[in-house]
Amino acid sequence: MLLYKREIIRNGKSTMLWTAILLLYNISMLLLYPSMTGAMKDKMNLMLQAFPKEMIIAMGLDKVSITELLGFYNTYCYLLVTILGGIFAMLQGISVLSKEEDEKTIEFLLSKPITRNRIIFEKVSAVLTNILILNIVVSMISYVAIELVSSEAYSLKALLLLFLGPVLMQVTFAAVGLLISIFIVKARINIPVGVGIVLGLYFISILATVSEKADFLKYVTPFKYVDGADIINSKAIEPVYLAIMTAVTLACTFITRLIYNKKDIVA
Amino acid sequence: MNAIEVTGLSKHYGNSRGIIDVNLEVKEGEVFGFIGPNGAGKSTTIRTLLNLIHAEKGEARIFGLDCFAQSRKIKEQVGYLPSEVHYYDDMKVRELLKYSSGYYKKDCSERIDQLCTALELNVDKKLEELSFGNKKKVGIVQALLHQPRLLILDEPTSGLDPLMQNKFFEILREENRKGVTIFFSSHILTEVQRMCDRVAIIKEGRILKTESIDTLRSTTYKRIKIEFVKLENTAFEGFPGVVDRTDSENGMEFLYNGPIEAIVKKLYEYELRNLWVEEPQLEEIFMHYYQ
Repeated sequence: MLLYKREIIRNGKSTMLWTAILLLYNISMLLLYPSMTGAMKDKMNLMLQAFPKEMIIAMGLDKVSITELLGFYNTYCYLLVTILGGIFAMLQGISVLSKEEDEKTIEFLLSKPITRNRIIFEKVSAVLTNILILNIVVSMISYVAIELVSSEAYSLKALLLLFLGPVLMQVTFAAVGLLISIFIVKARINIPVGVGIVLGLYFISILATVSEKADFLKYVTPFKYVDGADIINSKAIEPVYLAIMTAVTLACTFITRLIYNKKDIVA
Repeated sequence: MNAIEVTGLSKHYGNSRGIIDVNLEVKEGEVFGFIGPNGAGKSTTIRTLLNLIHAEKGEARIFGLDCFAQSRKIKEQVGYLPSEVHYYDDMKVRELLKYSSGYYKKDCSERIDQLCTALELNVDKKLEELSFGNKKKVGIVQALLHQPRLLILDEPTSGLDPLMQNKFFEILREENRKGVTIFFSSHILTEVQRMCDRVAIIKEGRILKTESIDTLRSTTYKRIKIEFVKLENTAFEGFPGVVDRTDSENGMEFLYNGPIEAIVKKLYEYELRNLWVEEPQLEEIFMHYYQ
């Protein structure tokens, strides 16, 4: 697992930085929750009533209440965890293989006794580890913060699913990134493409939420697969979405493996 | 057993030519030169041997193992120095060499120390701080540290100063004495002349000839330089065997390949102030293949 170790060390700083940003953001938001009581709660509800209906729907506030703990977490923390976490995972997936080609170190690596399948296996394992590190640290410390600020009962199952959902979504994004990187090797092109895809899919998820005509788009965007408001209400991630994420992840990894093994490396 | 065996290897990049029907046979323990100008297909052949690129046709074997199906096993016994070296900028030289040796599951620290001392390489420097020449030295060490049976060197001396080149050749001779086979690509003929037992000449993707270095040098090619008493501009025009003629202020020089007697008789027709007959550089003979 030499290459795996190397990848973990190489990406260590970046993973720590992304983890720290999400963590600090989540904690500072959660610390604001205790002010959401009594008169403030009523004021907030009144203010929300003045919002356009579409905006309320887009924010998922037609399904959950911002003045309740999980609703608050969904609006203020979960959104950023999914968007930033999605970008993090996409960047991890898109650069893990292509970086060696872009920086032309692949000729060195492939001259060593290691198969291409092994390279994919160790590098993908490193990406999964980084995704898990980010999510476990952010989730565990956020859980402690939630326990500290909570004054009412909440569904632990729903919260755990709010922690699990982003992991599944990020793994899917990483797999898509991996496949993209087979075709676009240059970091100056594939990174903007990857970030663009994540943000584009986020906007598609808003469209799918707001417009009934665009409802079919919910199958296109991973942001809908792990929609926070839906998870809080149903205390489940729909099996169809679980199936799509699994299929996309497996298909992208499989195709990557197939093409990478046949690919000419012209460093 | 042959160290390298290539039969009918062909590779195209889209519509552009890579290599066409390349055949090579390198014996174990041999120093084999692979010469040709830039773009002739040297690196393409080497990259195919290392399974970096995939040939459309043909077969390639190293120590009897298939270069495509058994590449991992082959690489345990091969050291490779690419023409352009690229390493991880965040690493120090020492870290890269340790990382590299990790792939061979051997303790190579003693060998690394030996090689770094011989090449005067500072192992505590970061790779991004190194000059091209020093990066090349790192390349040499990483190719040799696991004591491979076969060394594949693609334009190995580019970036090395003449003193370092000498040290590098000494190291290679030492390796060869231990029985290591060396496959050496170059477009600098004097290098090949210094090191190799046999050479293959590649042009526009095809192998033109494989010969022992002695045969290549024992052709009757002579470099002839003449100074006339009275300038004779038209001398030797169309004379059989005269190629590569250049005129100077009061004379000319050319490469001659033919019966010595004929050229001596011809020379006798002119009043000469001076005459030089020299052994041509391999490079000049080589140039002739390209005409």
